[in-house]
Amino acid sequence: MSSRGSGADRAAGAVLALAGVAVGIEATTFDVAFLTDPVGPKALPFLVAITCTVAGVHMLMTPREAVDLPPGDAATRMAAAAGGFLAYAAAMPWIGFFLSTTLVVAGLAYLFRGPWKGGLLAGLTLSTALWLLFVRVLALPLPVGTLWTR
Amino acid sequence: MDSLSQLLHGFGIALQPLNVGFALGGVAVGTFVGMLPGIGPINAIAILIPVIFAAGMPPESALILLVGVYYGSQYGNSISTILLNVPGTASAVVTAIDGHAMTRDGRGGPALAISAIASFVGGTLSIFGLVLFAPVLATWAIRFGPAEYFALMVFAFSALSSFAGGSLMRALAATAFGLWLATVGLDPNSAIPRYTFGRLQLLDGMDFVVVTIGLFAVSEVFQLLEETDGGRATAAAFGRVAVSGRELARSGWTMIRSSVLGFLVGVLPGAGGTIASFLAYSTEERIAGASGRFGRGDVRGVAAPESANNAAANGAMIPLLTLGVPGSGTTAVLLGALLGLGVTPGPLLLEEQPDLFWGLAASMYVGNAFLLLLNLPMVGVFVRALQVPRWILIPSVAALAFVAVYAVNGSAFDLVLMTLFGVVGYLMRTFDFPLAPVVLGLVLGPLMEKNLRRAMALSGGDWGVLFDSPIALVLWGLAALSLLAPLLLRRVSEELADSAGLAEASGPSDED
Repeated sequence: MSSRGSGADRAAGAVLALAGVAVGIEATTFDVAFLTDPVGPKALPFLVAITCTVAGVHMLMTPREAVDLPPGDAATRMAAAAGGFLAYAAAMPWIGFFLSTTLVVAGLAYLFRGPWKGGLLAGLTLSTALWLLFVRVLALPLPVGTLWTR
Repeated sequence: MDSLSQLLHGFGIALQPLNVGFALGGVAVGTFVGMLPGIGPINAIAILIPVIFAAGMPPESALILLVGVYYGSQYGNSISTILLNVPGTASAVVTAIDGHAMTRDGRGGPALAISAIASFVGGTLSIFGLVLFAPVLATWAIRFGPAEYFALMVFAFSALSSFAGGSLMRALAATAFGLWLATVGLDPNSAIPRYTFGRLQLLDGMDFVVVTIGLFAVSEVFQLLEETDGGRATAAAFGRVAVSGRELARSGWTMIRSSVLGFLVGVLPGAGGTIASFLAYSTEERIAGASGRFGRGDVRGVAAPESANNAAANGAMIPLLTLGVPGSGTTAVLLGALLGLGVTPGPLLLEEQPDLFWGLAASMYVGNAFLLLLNLPMVGVFVRALQVPRWILIPSVAALAFVAVYAVNGSAFDLVLMTLFGVVGYLMRTFDFPLAPVVLGLVLGPLMEKNLRRAMALSGGDWGVLFDSPIALVLWGLAALSLLAPLLLRRVSEELADSAGLAEASGPSDED
């Protein structure tokens, strides 16, 4: 872990405060023709907006001394994992649950520094087991993949 | 003795073969997830929910399974805490002090045995409390109107925010984030879309399973990627899992006192197992005085927190079932599961669905007995699971989480949302925001808004109605008090954590 100064905490506070303001601005557009109750749909969003803005400004003014940010190579592996999960979501309807899950498990095993053959084997085993459990036992459909069914 | 006959009826339900199987399965899964890094009861329950919905299980069986995972994880957690000095949750941090000291002395076996027995005592005594007090609270809670419910939920939020540890501001922001997520989708009163970003998939709102798995499980995967050693954990040799009669006798009163204390703390929203185990440990340390070897491997130092956190976990079921207001992230997920099963917890639950409540209470006795039987002779088997290399374990859990998220709506879009919540959860952990208030906000948000609007509709827009009744005033007072209480409590717990000398990097999650 590498420690950076209070800058990161300040930045997070600024993001939080801005998010609060954005939530509040969006809430002003929740107009209804006639109100079914005296409170309306705006009250809770406004409460959220105020809390986030106040907390964000508070962080901005009194940041923590140090925030533990991940070192470079860990950050790269995390980004790779997040990218892999998004690719998994995109690919699943297309190449099907079985192949996409095998690949995402193998990829994740590799990121955790496992041997790639072992990862692939783990992926195949899991995909098979999950397919049997969900499709055969629970009768919950999982995508076969449009690529193969066309 | 109406409760007794009801409980006997409950045993009739709990002892049906299927329900015995679910109780056993639940506690076994719970022991595993409590022990292994990176899963935790909240993820295990969230992953099981789509499976339960798909299988069309009756609500009482589903609840027996999920609650089994919940209290079973308290047992499992102490195994890795004692043997590896890696407390998986904050509530096990105190157990590590004397538990690991005993392991270093080569007395890991007795430590495991006393923890299993203490957990059993805490578990069973608190079920007794549950059976005794839940009906009382239910008859009392019937008088709750929308204004009282609103105040109660504010109390739950403020209590969890202030006991979450760390900065109150950040915890309140986390609560607000959860409440914001709750507003996403069509507003039930006016039918206008809120924060849907023009996405049809968001009109139905955010599913709490997707959010929970993203925030907790996926962010945990990111966090574990940070730890560069891919190696496996090696547990110390622990010998025979048994405890001498003398040591057991010495910790008898400790277990009973800690169970009562843990139960009472558990009933309060927000406090939960962490506060319960800290309080029980420091109380027993004071009672033992100079005769104790607290901090250097005293059996009572293991017995106290273990009885207390199991009792607290069961005590937390009271507000969940009789008021419908959970006080922690995990019980919030349980509430979400109940609502999804068509069960509305509240004061009428005991009357309208006695099978559910009494069946559950009886099954908790069955499950705790299983846990004692499982834990004493089979710890070796569980410990072997700790040796599974991380590169197999974590991707496997991730795959389970993915398939559960997909199964919620049968949509790959939820996997995208899950990943986004994973990134948000990781950032929240990095910047010291607690995660549990987000889940509580998401699950309770719609109920809170509904009760606020109903109270205001009844009063014709007069805000004074929120402070009209004595019950509401007491709840507002408790909410205010809970924001001040941790200042005092934190001083005690920081002192203890310092003496524990635990590595910060082990990063116990904020969930119990």
